[in-house]
Amino acid sequence: MRKVETNDLQICATPEITVKKKKVLKRKDLIGWAIMLPTLILFSFFIWEPLLENIKLSLYQANGIRLVKFVGLDNYFTVFAHPDFWAALKNTFSYIGWSLVIGFFAPILAAILISETIHFKGLFRVGIYFPNIMPGLATVIMWGFLFKPGGTGTLNILLGKIGVDPQLWLTNPGWTIPLIVMSMTWKSAGATALIYLAGISSINPELYEAATIDGASVLQRIRYITLPKLFSLGKTMFILQIIAVFQILYEPMVMTNGGPNNASISIMQLVYNFAFKDYNFPVAAALSVIVCIILAVLSVLYFKLTSNKEG
Amino acid sequence: MNRFKKLSSIVLTTVLAMSVLSGCGQTGNTANTSDRKVKLKLGIWPEATMTSEITLHEGYKAKLEDKDKDVEVVPSYYKYTTETFVPMAEAGNLPTIFETWYTEPQKLIKGGYVADITDILKKRGWDEAINPSIKKLLSDGNGRIYGIPRDGYALGVMANVKLFKDAGLVDADGRPIVPKTWDELAKTAQTIKQKTGSAGLCLLAKDAAGGWHFSNIAWAFGATLTTQEADGKYKSHVDSKEAIEAMNYVKDLKWKYDVLTADPTNEDWGTGFSNLGTGAAAMYIAANDAVEQPTENNGLPVEDLAIFAMPAGPNGAQYSLSGGTPYMFSKDATEAEINAALDYLELMGKAPVATEDSIAGMEADAKRKVETGIPVIKRFPAWVNKEVLDAEAKVLKDNKNVDDKLYASYFDAIDKQGNLRVEEPGSAQDLYSELTKVIQAVITDKNADVTALMKQANVNYQKILDEKVNK
Repeated sequence: MRKVETNDLQICATPEITVKKKKVLKRKDLIGWAIMLPTLILFSFFIWEPLLENIKLSLYQANGIRLVKFVGLDNYFTVFAHPDFWAALKNTFSYIGWSLVIGFFAPILAAILISETIHFKGLFRVGIYFPNIMPGLATVIMWGFLFKPGGTGTLNILLGKIGVDPQLWLTNPGWTIPLIVMSMTWKSAGATALIYLAGISSINPELYEAATIDGASVLQRIRYITLPKLFSLGKTMFILQIIAVFQILYEPMVMTNGGPNNASISIMQLVYNFAFKDYNFPVAAALSVIVCIILAVLSVLYFKLTSNKEG
Repeated sequence: MNRFKKLSSIVLTTVLAMSVLSGCGQTGNTANTSDRKVKLKLGIWPEATMTSEITLHEGYKAKLEDKDKDVEVVPSYYKYTTETFVPMAEAGNLPTIFETWYTEPQKLIKGGYVADITDILKKRGWDEAINPSIKKLLSDGNGRIYGIPRDGYALGVMANVKLFKDAGLVDADGRPIVPKTWDELAKTAQTIKQKTGSAGLCLLAKDAAGGWHFSNIAWAFGATLTTQEADGKYKSHVDSKEAIEAMNYVKDLKWKYDVLTADPTNEDWGTGFSNLGTGAAAMYIAANDAVEQPTENNGLPVEDLAIFAMPAGPNGAQYSLSGGTPYMFSKDATEAEINAALDYLELMGKAPVATEDSIAGMEADAKRKVETGIPVIKRFPAWVNKEVLDAEAKVLKDNKNVDDKLYASYFDAIDKQGNLRVEEPGSAQDLYSELTKVIQAVITDKNADVTALMKQANVNYQKILDEKVNK
């Protein structure tokens, strides 16, 4: 809005008026900056400065967090040489893959279903958001009980009622990541669905009316109106999901502690192990920087690949 | 008016932000400023829920403050956790004395977080009184000492006597018939599982504690997992024939004997005691310094707990892994503060002195254990001076609340020459992590290739050794 005003002024105003207006704008700017100042200070103190410190720490040898000696990229080589690094990296991408399969479409589907619902819409909206209210640790502990192997696990007890043998659940290395992703999706899909619902409600209803008059079925309306209109939002949610899942930590840590045999260890758990098990903060910092670079590259790549489809 | 409102809101917001930031900059260590007393910030103060222990400590506090008018004891309960320790240490907020885990001393010494107390101990003559193997764990490469033992420990196997009785595994006197070899243990566990439905053994496989216990089993099978070569470098032997045999035994516990709890990959040090205390498992590898865990914390009646010696391997080799739970001191603590902390330990009866006060401390502790249903048994000799050991023996005799024979094989074994072994050298925690991964694999996959897994673990651990300690 302000940009438009400035352009207009530059084109139309006489020099005298421009100077006057510019002064006014400067004062406005000043007030704007002053309002932003506390946030900027807090951001620099709590986000940007630690970020830069982290990069610096990753290039040093340290006692705790007290820098001792500049070692260049040694800490990065230590990360690459660690036996758990490649397993953790592979698993992290596996988490992302499964989260896209299980967790990306679920909220879109839920949002569309709720938007098409006529009765009890509010109830469904609250219902789907409900798991999000639960504290994260409580959620994973609850799912831990459900997935407990042997005769005392909740799911196994239920399966036993219909004559199915007890399953290994999380202790089956092939199932561990999908099951963890399932519990994550259960918790967070509702919040994402609300964002999609907001997106759907901002679509011009005239489009639907026109489509209905033209005889479009529900599926056709979704296919030709809802989904294309949600594309831009979906694109943002897609990359946000990748960024969030890349930093998965407490779910595998609590449910499986990264096991069995590294089947579910994530990159962030490795960062945690370096920092808090070994007190090797420089190596933890190096791995954090690696994560940051990977995510930045993925984000740029993704937006480049999809930029021409902006809808 | 409007402008005034705007301006005042900007000023207020800025002031608020600045006050938040200035609050963060506080250095914290405000002790020693209110008066000239030595302030002993006591991290070993019991947590708020342990009322009987707090009463005990209030007595120690009053006694110390009465004895030394310069000292003020400030209860500063601190439970060591790896997430809180470094921030507290870096901010200068550590209590003068705190308790940490047996795994931590070398890490804390290396990071420069703890005070060198060698000279203070020498002045008191305590340096010679510490059990040499424990002293080594609390010292750096130059022999400087950074901590003193709260308790020593040696691993044995805890048993739930009631489950042994239910399974009919008792002698004529009604005492449990405990296994002497790992093979016997598997069979005993199998009988218990078949007759009671409870797991025979709680094996840990959630975290590094699994590898820690396994290293003791591997020794019985004749393995040595790490050696230090002539050039001073450490070499991993995780893939030795004996170690593989021991891992095969662990695999058999799951697939041949089926005696473990439902999900060992979810069992850690704490759940092991819950399983034992609540009767979900009959046996659990544990030490004498943790007898309050199954009893006081998990409701096992005091007469239903027994500890027997670590079983022997196929060739009769039998070892008990030993170590110590240490007290350590903040790097910022002054000599006077550290001395006050050591005086406090004397009053608690946790020091190598047998004064009237320290014996009273031992007595009070033993009485509390009797009242709360915790076995009063011998401590592992963390201190080696005779007068303390004699005083302890008398306190034990006066407060006996268990049948000695239930602990006899354990104490007999650790008294034997050559039975005690300290942790593997090198980087024990990383060794344990690698071993735990293999344990997880073999108990979750019936077809797991033990040899290949151990070979991989060996390569991994050697890499870590080369990166961390061989450089």
